[in-house]
Amino acid sequence: MRVLDIQKLSVQYHTEQGECRALEELDLHVEEGEITGLVGESGSGKSTAMLAVMGLLKENASMQSEGITVCGEPVVPGVNIAMIFQNPQSCLNPSVKIGRQITETVRAKRHCGRREARERALELLDMTGIGNAKVRMRQYPFELSGGMLQRVVIAIALACEPRVIIADEPTTALDAAVQAQILRLLRRIVEETGTALLLVSHDLGVTASLCRRVYVMRRGRIVESGSVEDIFYDPGEEYTKQLLDSVKKKRKLSEGTKEESLLRVENLTKEFDTRDGIRDVTLELHEGEIFALAGESGSGKTTLARILTGILKEDRGTVFYRDELLERNGRGGGRIQMVFQDPYGSLNPCLTAGQALDEALRAAGSPEEKADREKRRERIRNMMERVGLTEEDMDKYPSEFSGGQRQRIGIARALIVRPEILICDEALSSLDAVTQQQILDLLLDIQKEQQIACLFISHDMHVICRISSRMGVMYGGRLVETGRTREVCSDPWHPYTKLLLDAALEADPLRARRIPGISAGKQSTGGRGVQEKGCPFAGECGYAMKCCTEQEPEVYRFGERAVSCFLYSEEHSGRRSRDYIMTSQI
Amino acid sequence: MLRYTLKRILTGILALFVLACVTFLLVRLMPGSPFQTGSVSEQVVEAVEREYGLDRPLGEQFLTYMGNLLRGDLGISYEDPGVKVTEIIGRTWGITASLGVPALIVAILAGTAFGIARAVSKNRCVREVISAVGMILAGIPGFAAAILLLLVFSVQLKWFPASGLLSPAHYVLPVISLAIYPAAVIMRLTGNALETEMEKDYVLFDRAKGLGRKQIIFTHALKNAWRPVLNYIGPASAYLLTGSFVVESIFTIPGIGREFVNSITNRDYTLIMGLTIFMGAVVIAVNLITDLLGAWLDPAVRRSYQEEAG
Amino acid sequence: MTVQKRRRRKDLRGYFRKDRRAAAGCILLGIWILLAVLVPLLSPWSYSEQNAAIQNSLPSPAHWFGTDKFGRDLFARVWYGAGLSLLVGLVSAALNGCIGVLYGAVSGYAGKKADLILMRIADVVSAIPSMLYVILITLVLGAGATSIILGLCVAGWIDMARIVRGEILRLKGTDFACAAKIEGIPSIRILTRHLLPNAAGPITVNFIFLIPQAIFTEAFLSFLGIGIAAPAASLGTIIQEARSQMMVYPYQMVFPLLVLCVMMLALNLIGTSLEQRNRR
Repeated sequence: MRVLDIQKLSVQYHTEQGECRALEELDLHVEEGEITGLVGESGSGKSTAMLAVMGLLKENASMQSEGITVCGEPVVPGVNIAMIFQNPQSCLNPSVKIGRQITETVRAKRHCGRREARERALELLDMTGIGNAKVRMRQYPFELSGGMLQRVVIAIALACEPRVIIADEPTTALDAAVQAQILRLLRRIVEETGTALLLVSHDLGVTASLCRRVYVMRRGRIVESGSVEDIFYDPGEEYTKQLLDSVKKKRKLSEGTKEESLLRVENLTKEFDTRDGIRDVTLELHEGEIFALAGESGSGKTTLARILTGILKEDRGTVFYRDELLERNGRGGGRIQMVFQDPYGSLNPCLTAGQALDEALRAAGSPEEKADREKRRERIRNMMERVGLTEEDMDKYPSEFSGGQRQRIGIARALIVRPEILICDEALSSLDAVTQQQILDLLLDIQKEQQIACLFISHDMHVICRISSRMGVMYGGRLVETGRTREVCSDPWHPYTKLLLDAALEADPLRARRIPGISAGKQSTGGRGVQEKGCPFAGECGYAMKCCTEQEPEVYRFGERAVSCFLYSEEHSGRRSRDYIMTSQI
Repeated sequence: MLRYTLKRILTGILALFVLACVTFLLVRLMPGSPFQTGSVSEQVVEAVEREYGLDRPLGEQFLTYMGNLLRGDLGISYEDPGVKVTEIIGRTWGITASLGVPALIVAILAGTAFGIARAVSKNRCVREVISAVGMILAGIPGFAAAILLLLVFSVQLKWFPASGLLSPAHYVLPVISLAIYPAAVIMRLTGNALETEMEKDYVLFDRAKGLGRKQIIFTHALKNAWRPVLNYIGPASAYLLTGSFVVESIFTIPGIGREFVNSITNRDYTLIMGLTIFMGAVVIAVNLITDLLGAWLDPAVRRSYQEEAG
Repeated sequence: MTVQKRRRRKDLRGYFRKDRRAAAGCILLGIWILLAVLVPLLSPWSYSEQNAAIQNSLPSPAHWFGTDKFGRDLFARVWYGAGLSLLVGLVSAALNGCIGVLYGAVSGYAGKKADLILMRIADVVSAIPSMLYVILITLVLGAGATSIILGLCVAGWIDMARIVRGEILRLKGTDFACAAKIEGIPSIRILTRHLLPNAAGPITVNFIFLIPQAIFTEAFLSFLGIGIAAPAASLGTIIQEARSQMMVYPYQMVFPLLVLCVMMLALNLIGTSLEQRNRR
C-alpha cells in the first residue's frame, strides 16, 4: 500500500528576478513500513519538495499537483505526517522547555490532559533512547547536545503518531559517531512502529545504510529511481554515476618528497572557558606532504589551525618553522595561508573577487608589486585562470558566484601570496558531492604542482584516507593518534580512531547496512563535554580501564606511529625489548 | 547572575553620581542669579546669597550639596523660601506617576497588540494600514498630539474636560497623548521582532508538528520576541517623564513636569537641580529593574544562576 | 569600474521602483528641502519682519499660510523654520553619527579591557535621560541652535556606538576578517576597508533615525521656550507662538504642525524601508 503518494508536484518561486521553477512534475511514493531515500545535491529541490508536501512553503512560492495523499487522505501536518529537520538546535524553541515542546504536540494530537501527555512524553523520550527522561523534560534545548536534541525532535515527530515521517537531512549537522546512533534509532523506529520513513539526504552513505528504494533528484526532477542495489551497483543515468564516482574515486597518494620538517609544533596548548581548546599537541609537517587532521566538531582542529595562522595566540608551547621559532605577530609574511570551510562567510561581500585578491597581494607581495597596480592585476588574472575562473569574474561580487566558485576564489586568495603551507579547514564540507570532487582535484593539482605542504582538516574519513600521506586524529583537544594514513586507516590503534573509521558510512548498501553499534556513552554529562580528569575519551570508550578515568595517558611512540592510550603503555602491555613490534590492541 | 546584578547596581550608582556632579556644575555655570530681579539692591542679593551659601568656594558648596544629597536632602527652593525641594517632589510626583504609569501600560498593550497584528495578519491590507498609521503616529511630537487631542476632543466635541485631574475622564486625553509615541515605537519593535521570529526554523517545525497558528504565535514566537520591548521600557519612561513637561503644561496639571518648566522660567536653581537628579534617578532605577528582569527571564542566564546557588 | 557603477545605479533605480515607501519618503524629503531653501530666498516677505497692518490675516493668495499676530508671513516663516529644524537635525545627526561610529569601532575592534571601559562609560552616560542634559546645556549656553546641537551630542551617539560595536564584534569573528588578518593586512585597513563597509546598512538606518530624533528634541525645547531664540524661528517656536490664540486662529498652528509631521513621516519612511531591506 502506498502510504505517501505524490503525483506530478510542481513548485515555482516568484522572485524579484521573475519566475523560477524549483520542481517539475515530481512523482514519488513511499510504501508502508518502508524506508525510501531521496538523494540529490544541495539546490536540487529536495527540501522544497518536502516543504511543499507538508504545505509549509513560503508566501512567494506556489505549487500544483495531481494529488498528494497519505493513505488516500489529504496531508495534515502533525496528524498523518511529521517531519524531522536538519538542524535540531534551530528547530526547537530555545526558550521553551523540552517537556513542554513534547507535551503540547501530544495534546494537540490526542486532546488529552496534562498528566497523560506527560506520561506519553516520558514514554517517547524513553523510546528514542534518552536516559534520565524526567530531568531532560525540565531542561531547555541549550542544555542538551546536538545528538540528544535530534532524539527529542524524533520524539516530537513520533508524538504526532504519523503514518509517515519525512526526515530532511536528519544527520547532516551531527558528528559521525552520533550520526550512526541516530540512523540506528530511525531504523529501529520504523521496525517497531511500522511508520514509513522518507529519508532525504545528500549523503550517499547515509542513504545506502537505511533505504530500500531510492530516488535520485537533479534540478527539480527525478532522474532515476529503483531499489537501492540497482541504483548503487548499476546506475543507469550519467548523473548518478557521477555522484557515485565522486565518493568512490581512488587517488594515488601524494607522498612527501623529502622527510624534512617544515613546521614543527610542540606541546601547543590553548584553553577556553568552554570546550574547543587544545592541550599538548605535538606534530610535524613535512615539506610537500599532505597531513590530514581528523576529528569531530569541537575537538580542537579549528583552534589548532587558527593558532598556526596567527589568529589566536597559544597559551603555551612552541611552533618551529624550518627549525626557527616562528614569529606570529599577525604578519607571517604569508607563509601560512588558509582556505576556510564556509564559502559564504569567508569572502567579504563588499569586495569584488579581484579586490579581495588585490588586498592580499598589497599586504604580502614583493615591493615592486606593492607599488605597481598593473603588475598586481596581471598576477591576479593568472591566478584566477589557474583556479578555473575567467578575467570577467574579477569584477564580480561574491554574491554573484556559486558556492564552488567562491571556494575557488578562497583558494586563489590563499595561494596568490605563494605560501609554503596551506591549511584547508574543512574546505570541502559545505559543498555538494560533485563540486567537492572538482575543488579537491583543483587543490591536489596545485599542491602537487607547487609542492606546497598542506594541513588538511576534515571530518570525512573517506577523503582523508584517499588523499593524505600522514594523518592525526584529535579528540577533546588532544592528538590521540598519528601515523601514516595507510597504516592508521587499515589498522587503527586508538579506540576513537576505530570508532571514526567504523562510523564513516560507505556508499555501498551491503557494507553500509551494518551500521556499527556505537555505544551511546554514559551520557552522564548530557552527552556533551569531555571528561575533566583522565583520558578525554574514557567516558565513551569500550576499552576503558580504571586508570583511564584517573590519569591522563601519555603519548606512546612506536616509530612513526604515536598513540595516546593506556592500552599501549608499558604497564598494560608489559615491558618490552628494543625491537618489540607493537600491534593494535583492539 | 549575582555578579551581573552587582555590576548593574554599581553602574546605576555611578550613573547617579555622574548625574549629580554634572547637574551641579551645569547649574552653577548658568548665567544670572535667581535673586537679581532688578528691584532688590546689591546688598540684599549678597545677603541672600550668603544665607544660601553661594559665596563660599565651589568645591565646598559641592561637598555640602553631596553630603545633603546622601541624607536625602535636596535643599530649599529659591523661589519659594521655606519650601523644601523634597516636599515639592513629594507633592507632585504622585500626580505625574498617575499619568505616566497608565500611559506606559496603554503603550505596551496597544503597541504589542498592533505589533502582533502587523507581523502576522494574513490580510495584506491590515498589515499595510497598521504600519502606515504607526509611522505617522511616530512622526507626531508629543506636544502636537496633546494640542490636537485638546482641540478636537475637548474644544470641538467637548467629550473630555480640558484641564485638571478631577475625575477619571480628565485622565483620558493626557494619558493618550503621552502614550502615542511609545506605543508607535513598541509596535515597530514587536512587529519587527515577531516577523524575524516567524521566519525561524522552530516555527516551521511547530507547524509541521500540527500546532495551530495562534498557539505558535502566543506560546512560542512571542516568548522570544519580548526582549526589545522590555529593553525599551527604560527609554520609554524617560520619554514619559520629559513628555510630562509639555502635557502637564497644556492640560494644566500640577505635576512634576510643570514644576520643572516653572523652575526653568524662574531660574530656581535648587529646584532645577533637585528635580533633574530625582527624574534621572527614576529613569536609572527603571533601566536597572528592566535590565535585571531581562537577564532573569533569560533561561540561559537563570540556569547559570541556579547552578551557582546549587 | 564603470560597469560596477552602472550596475549600482541600475540597482538603485530598481530598488526605488519596488519599494514605494522609500521612494515616497525621498520625494517628500526632497520637496521639503527645496522649499526650505527656496522659499526664504524667493519670497517677497521676510520671516522676521513685523507688519502691524496685516496681523492675523487668514490664508490668502498673497499669504498662502496667512500671517501671525505680529503680521509676519507664515509661509516664509514656516519654511524658514523647517529649514532650521532640518539643519539642526542633520548637523547633530552627522556629529553624533561620526562620534558613534568612531567610538563603537574602536571599542569593538580593540576588545578586552578597552572595550569594557568604553562601554561602561557609555552605560553611565546613557543611563541619564538625554533630554535633561539638553535642557541644562541650553540653560547654560543660552538658547540657540548651537547649544541644542551641543546638548544633543552629549548622549545622542550612544545608540550608534552600541550598534557599530556589535556589528564590528560580529564581523571581527567572520572568516573573511580572519583571512584578512592572515594575509597580514594592517589593523586600521582591516577595520576601514573590510569591516566597516559591511556595517554600512545598520549605520545608515541608525543615522536616518537620528535626524527625526534631533528634530523632535529641538521642536520640544522650542515649544518649552528654551530652544531657538528670536528672531530666528524653528517649527517648534512657531507652534509655541501660535498656542496663545489657537482657539481663534487654529490655522497658525496647523500649518507648521503639518509641515513638521510630514517631515518626520518622510524621514521615518526612509528609515523603516531601509531597516526592512537590511533585515532581509
